[in-house]
Amino acid sequence: MTHYCYSIKILPGATVCEDCTLEGDITIGGGTVIHPRVTIIAEGGPIIIAEYCIIEEYSTIIHKKNEQPENPPKPLFIGAHNVFEVGCRLESLCGHIGESNVFECKSFVGIDVKIGSGCVIGAACSLNAPQTLPDNTVIWGSEHNNREALEKQPSQLLQLDFLGKVMPNYHRLRKSNVHKRQMSRQSQEPAKS
Amino acid sequence: MELQDTYYNKSEYVETASGNKVSRQTVLCGSQNIVLHGKVIVQSDAIIRGDLANVKTGRFCIISKGSVIRPPFKKFSKGVAFFPLQMGDHVFVGENTVVNAAVVGSYVYIGKNVVIGRRCVLKDCCMIEDNSVLPGETVVPSFARYSGSPARHITTLPEAMPDLMTEFTKSYYQHFVSITATG
Repeated sequence: MTHYCYSIKILPGATVCEDCTLEGDITIGGGTVIHPRVTIIAEGGPIIIAEYCIIEEYSTIIHKKNEQPENPPKPLFIGAHNVFEVGCRLESLCGHIGESNVFECKSFVGIDVKIGSGCVIGAACSLNAPQTLPDNTVIWGSEHNNREALEKQPSQLLQLDFLGKVMPNYHRLRKSNVHKRQMSRQSQEPAKS
Repeated sequence: MELQDTYYNKSEYVETASGNKVSRQTVLCGSQNIVLHGKVIVQSDAIIRGDLANVKTGRFCIISKGSVIRPPFKKFSKGVAFFPLQMGDHVFVGENTVVNAAVVGSYVYIGKNVVIGRRCVLKDCCMIEDNSVLPGETVVPSFARYSGSPARHITTLPEAMPDLMTEFTKSYYQHFVSITATG
């Protein structure tokens, strides 16, 4: 039996609710907000979530086990500024999710889908077949219509700002556990020096 | 048609003085901002996000299992604001439904697995069918029946909709009875 070193790294500035399931080797970047009841399972390899993502209630991110395990396992890298709305599900073998994507409510992204940047997966759409979404693809509706976005997805920084301020008042949060020696009561001091 | 009794475990639910029945398995964030106006049923694994903004429901609302009620947000040039979410009386929200609406009127039926987009306005007496997706900022008029993804107006509802919904939610409440766990 392979022994996994389960470790969850939360960088300073991330807001992670206690009421969520995190399993495996997960790194959560600064500025990311994770709402309650989120499930992130890294069974096939580490999951790295970059900065400024929003992951809402009941979303599930699973890094599936590969049938031919690679050594060392490939990480699932999720770029910055992604938004996972309520109840969306992302399963991946190994892969790379670009930046500024929006996974709308109840969307499903299957195991062999590669996603570029600036994509929108519409509400209740599911992508099962192996495919690669080029940058700025928008998918919507029951017929899975797709088009190319004319403009970039607006940044969610303002919402993140708000959530980062409000969530600590109402939720128990997981503490950031990286850069321990810099932690001196206030975490708002810039990480870089 | 008489509804069948739905049983629940008494120890699993909290009943308030005004007759609200709220499961212990729900996530009520910011409960000081949530107003349930009496005889409301909130079933297990439902999430009501009172931490983002106020959430108000009327009387005889039913919020089924796994549904998420969350106030919508809007971006302004100076920051983001979450808007309060108001729900009228006699509203039924089906299982695993996400409600991001700004206003839900009275006598509204929302089916299972529905996604109500941001800042939608559902007027009184309307119905959203199962598995529909209502895009953001949609206004659903009274007595309309919406279905599909994206949801479209398909038919109108009978004039008796208020009475039907009153009857339905009231009998649902009456048939939501407790059993005390044995042993």
